[in-house]
Amino acid sequence: MRPTAVRCDGITVQFGQVRALDNVSLAFPVGQIHAVLGQNGAGKSTMAGVLSGILRPARGSVEICGRKIQSGQSAAARAAGLDIVHQRFSLPPSFRVAEALEFAAARKMGGLVYSLRRIERRWRERLDAVGITVDLRSRLASLPVETRQSIEILRALANDARVLILDEPTALLSPTAIDKLFRQLRELRDQGVTPIVILHKLKEVLAVADTVAILRQGQLVLPPTPKDTLTTSRISTLMVGAVSVATRCATPTKDMPAADLCRLDGIATRSRGSEPGLHDIDLTLGQGEILGVAGIEGNGQRALAETIAGLEAPLAGRLTLAGSDVTERGTAARRVMGLRMVPFDRMTEGLSLTSPLWENVQSWVAERFRTGPWPLISIARMQESTRAILDRFGVSYRTTTQRGDTLSGGNLQRVILGRELAGTLKVLLAAQPTRGLDFAATRFVWQELHRVRDTGAGIILISSDLDELFEISDRILVMRGGRVVGTFTPPYSARTVGSAMVGAAE
Amino acid sequence: MNRVGQGAAAILPIGIAVATCMLLFALAGYDIISVILGVTEGALTGFGSFQQTLRWAMPLLLIALGFLFCLRAGEFNIGGQGQMMMGGLGSVAVALLFPGPVWIAMPTALLAGMLCGLIWSGFAGFLKVRYHADEVIVTLMLNFIAVLLVSWVTTGPLKDPAVRGETASTPKIDSALRLGGSDGISPTLLILVGLAILAAWVIAERSRMGVQLRYVGKAPQAARWQGMAVRRLKFQAYLLAGTFAGLAGAFEVLGPNGRLVTGATPTIGFTAIVVTIVGLSRVPGIVIAAIFFGGLQAAILFLPIVSDLPSSGIKILEGMIALFVTAEFLRHWRQR
Repeated sequence: MRPTAVRCDGITVQFGQVRALDNVSLAFPVGQIHAVLGQNGAGKSTMAGVLSGILRPARGSVEICGRKIQSGQSAAARAAGLDIVHQRFSLPPSFRVAEALEFAAARKMGGLVYSLRRIERRWRERLDAVGITVDLRSRLASLPVETRQSIEILRALANDARVLILDEPTALLSPTAIDKLFRQLRELRDQGVTPIVILHKLKEVLAVADTVAILRQGQLVLPPTPKDTLTTSRISTLMVGAVSVATRCATPTKDMPAADLCRLDGIATRSRGSEPGLHDIDLTLGQGEILGVAGIEGNGQRALAETIAGLEAPLAGRLTLAGSDVTERGTAARRVMGLRMVPFDRMTEGLSLTSPLWENVQSWVAERFRTGPWPLISIARMQESTRAILDRFGVSYRTTTQRGDTLSGGNLQRVILGRELAGTLKVLLAAQPTRGLDFAATRFVWQELHRVRDTGAGIILISSDLDELFEISDRILVMRGGRVVGTFTPPYSARTVGSAMVGAAE
Repeated sequence: MNRVGQGAAAILPIGIAVATCMLLFALAGYDIISVILGVTEGALTGFGSFQQTLRWAMPLLLIALGFLFCLRAGEFNIGGQGQMMMGGLGSVAVALLFPGPVWIAMPTALLAGMLCGLIWSGFAGFLKVRYHADEVIVTLMLNFIAVLLVSWVTTGPLKDPAVRGETASTPKIDSALRLGGSDGISPTLLILVGLAILAAWVIAERSRMGVQLRYVGKAPQAARWQGMAVRRLKFQAYLLAGTFAGLAGAFEVLGPNGRLVTGATPTIGFTAIVVTIVGLSRVPGIVIAAIFFGGLQAAILFLPIVSDLPSSGIKILEGMIALFVTAEFLRHWRQR
């Protein structure tokens, strides 16, 4: 029997009405890679927060390496040997590598005078020891995500962490970087560190974990169990509950494209920060077609979406919508012509969290809401039509005047879909429409996309989730560095699409 | 939180501010009973006191209503003071320089006031939406320019030769053009202010533009994706703010003052910001808050007669209220 690295007893966390963790007790043995698996909202990140002392549970206790931790004290957890690498990194992005590491180190260097050279000397060796080659003077913000993540991990290890929690470490990584990360985790395990990895993708869990624990709706449905004793179907059943994962959307039946609904000819945009601009993009979207756009995040997908939306003026090229040139037209005009959009970030771009639902659901530019010569509105009528839309899209809400932030992520996406899909549309631009959604909500979005496609509209689906793209796209474009580097038709192969995404030579 | 709860939450910081001030006055050796009686009499119960309260509530209210539009659009336009002065300038210029039949001259003077306020605010708005100039700095600086402009006009081109001494002013305008006497307000003024309140409410709460403004202020990114003309809406908010502040200036000239005076009401534009915030950024709330602060302003002028507390004591009270209310406001602002 291995000694215990982390144990918790009867952890309960309550966020308002929601019980994020319900009486969770478990123990992670030393020297293994533990995966904590669950859908969105299952309580994984809450779990990580409690273990690392960031969150104070309503009830329950945490023990790290045999030491009982005053709950809700991150310094105590750190002193006991537990550290966390957050999904969104914690080191200040404007710092140089060496400065950031020194800044976060538990034991600072002595001396009164700041000397970048001395700091660099101290960290050079440590970085070399783990094989990270990076210019210590470069700013964190300028580094690729995988390097930043390695530095975050090193930061934790430099504080003598013996238990390392990684919260969704694969979310921002390319497939090759994920492989590298997993190798690194195995090395750490062999050195006696206990990594606890929070994941929501089954494939990744199978690739890296020694044991699997599963959370569902705040409850521990599977305590850490050796992976070899589990079957894939058992894991997925435990994750999603009664619903079987086998019921997936039917494979799309392909209609012949009759006319081009949306066409990009030689579109180019300027680059912004680390995001490349578009280079000479040609793209056509036919009627009744779902065109998937694959690519590792930050390869021009945002520029593509904003160009189609009319938020970014292209440097060159021509954009037509339903046959007419809209290169010079604004977002409102394009919406009137039948373009609808589901933006990347539903919390800031999709809707206003602090506005009432009816303001969020009404479309303020579309012609169909022009009621007369006076630019006055009838709130009663707007709330009426809001109720109709919300009911049709299965949003659970109390009144149309409640604020957006009273709804869960899946419900918010339903609100956005309701607004965008309520009327007739010709082209739907859906950017990461299922990101962060649980299984049921994802399926709902896919069903709606199919329904829209079946009305003859075209859909441009931008996603970084290959499974999703393979599931519902009629055609897939791969973007890399602001260019379209490949077009694929079913049957898709993860290997060929994946290597186009990362630019690996075949 | 329901409306009543919100109202209570808005009054609480005022209560704390008043209590703190009274404690300070008591510690400084003043008789707070006479101070409280003095303020009550000056604002409410004394002869003509409530009229004075309304007289001062009027400019506060109009500037605050204008500020509301900018605040909703997420623009901190603190140039109400300058916009009001420019409004007064435009209005007095028409009243003095273009004599004509009253039924033409009076509306023209009002319109000129609104137009000057609109231009003054619109210029700041243009700099903001076109060049991303910081609106707080631009509107603050435009206040100083407006003060100096008024000062130049009242000591130069439109100087009243009869006035000697410190305060410079223009000559009195023709009494036929006056909307109210020097003792404060008149039915005409009240009706006009009522119409202004109604207009502000309709634009803010029942027009497509008003709702869009609010949306733009809360979620500019979402507004862009929905195709709202974010920059144009923000610019329109500046124009509205300037129009209302300019109207306040015009009313000062055509109403109580009867002329343009330098150094009159030098802080009213800033108190108006507090009025908007205390009024919970809603039109009815702003009306109530404006009357409250109008009462304080009226009390300032009356207090020295009945109490030994200098009138700057009320200024301290006003400042204290502003402090506590904005602290509360910032807490909500951050949470948004």
